[in-house]
Amino acid sequence: MSYFFDLVIVGLSIGMVYALVAIGISLIYSGLDVVHFAHGEIYMLGAFIGLVIYEKLKLPFPVVLLGSMIVTGLVGVFIERVFYRRILRGGGGYTVAGMAMVICGFGMSIVLQNVAFLIWGARALPFPVSYGMPIEVGNVTLPAAYVWIVVAALVLMTGLHLFLKKTRLGLAVRAVAGNKEIAALMGIDVGLTISVIFGVACALGAAAGVLVGPINYVQVQMGIGVLIKAFAAAVIGGFGNLPGAVLGGLLVGVTESLGAGYLSGNYKDIYAFILLIIVLMIRPAGMFGVIGKVKA
Amino acid sequence: MSTDTTASEPMLVTTDVVGGYGSVQILNGVSLKIARGQIVALLGGNGTGKSTMLKALSGLIKPWSGTIVFDGERIDRLRPDKIVRRGLVQVTQGKEAYPAMTVEENLLLGAHTRPERAVRARGLERTYEYFPILKERRRQLTGTLSGGQLQMLCIGRGLMSEPKMMLLDEPSAALAPQVVLEIFRTISRICRAGMTLLMVEQNVRMALLLAEYGYVIKDGVIHLQGPAETMINDDAVRLSYLGGTVADRDAKMAL
Repeated sequence: MSYFFDLVIVGLSIGMVYALVAIGISLIYSGLDVVHFAHGEIYMLGAFIGLVIYEKLKLPFPVVLLGSMIVTGLVGVFIERVFYRRILRGGGGYTVAGMAMVICGFGMSIVLQNVAFLIWGARALPFPVSYGMPIEVGNVTLPAAYVWIVVAALVLMTGLHLFLKKTRLGLAVRAVAGNKEIAALMGIDVGLTISVIFGVACALGAAAGVLVGPINYVQVQMGIGVLIKAFAAAVIGGFGNLPGAVLGGLLVGVTESLGAGYLSGNYKDIYAFILLIIVLMIRPAGMFGVIGKVKA
Repeated sequence: MSTDTTASEPMLVTTDVVGGYGSVQILNGVSLKIARGQIVALLGGNGTGKSTMLKALSGLIKPWSGTIVFDGERIDRLRPDKIVRRGLVQVTQGKEAYPAMTVEENLLLGAHTRPERAVRARGLERTYEYFPILKERRRQLTGTLSGGQLQMLCIGRGLMSEPKMMLLDEPSAALAPQVVLEIFRTISRICRAGMTLLMVEQNVRMALLLAEYGYVIKDGVIHLQGPAETMINDDAVRLSYLGGTVADRDAKMAL
């Protein structure tokens, strides 16, 4: 029973990491109508930037987390302004520009990997932060790292929720996600809001990277697997739906963990996709998705 | 009634506005003049260019040539959000409210350019005073509102930023006559409180009953203009451009 419990905790925490990346992918999709395929590299970049901040400045881990989110968020805004914006002028979604944007995302993913390779090399670097001693809850002992990942992710998600529901800018983000033309008629600077969406999405991706750092190595290709899992999570939840992305991420994480624990660790990467196929067979638009999307 | 637009500096003047989408030219030189506090109707059937003109005024499309001067300053090269900040707001059709937001969130969106707490509170209060039903339903999802309530919501949303002038995009579209009447009554109240208004309408009689001055647009140019009372009684005008039914006469009584 304790083995099962451990697997669930591990699954939930890795699921939270997928969820953070999936939220970013979903946010960008709902705001810009494109799937951002370089988001795994944003996650990787976030981990490296976190590592640099930690090693150079020796700041406490929560500050490192925030610092990496801010820096990576700004990098995301830069990428969006300089590269994606030009392409997206022609529209997103199923337009030619939308297709070009997908390809541009793949290109950006390769570019970012190589930039990271030139700066940090191909070696897997340790992130020498300890999450501390295991935490005892009743008669169960929980590994601290996994608990803190879940807690940190929950705090970030709550923050995002409050931002979207309670602030003027958050409302503008939702309006732009729903309909850009109407948003402009409300006096919203749509271009600026899209940059905000992109920045927030990248900051969340970076947070995922930094949180995973200490239990994993930081390495140039770490984003590839996570992107695919997070993408599966977003699709399972219903693309563009944020609560769906969280639930999808958790489902993917737990399924993967239980599969690895009870069936075979060698096929760890398959379980998420078996889950994806099953969910899409039953609900083609994902759990919370609506066919013929109604947004905002 | 004031048709004398030279009495004060006009609120909105457009001169030979030409524009369209892609390479398709829709507006072939539209000139309008709207005085402060005036209610003006822009009339025309489907595909005549009245919606395109509205888009040009609110900045959603850039005119190819011609000028738009609002409150003494040119706005034809400005982005839509800058135009809203100048005090010219387009009231969308009811179907353009955000269905997955609550009624109050939709209203607050209208006050996006006004972060001041007092302005937002005042705007909500004013809107709820004009449309009490919105207050009752303020916590509900907008998608649950009826067509008339959606139109009320959009008018209220337009009021939230306390604009100098509102552009109304077919406030009667797809609504039952009784509801149209109620909405037009409230629009009339809003205007009496000092709003300048340009209303695009297909419901010609209704629009001319409320407006002081009317323009008829056809094939992207102004074909006809004049004081609303003259227009509404002009059989030639009605037959050639406006259509209209006997039932509208009852509406006039009610207004």
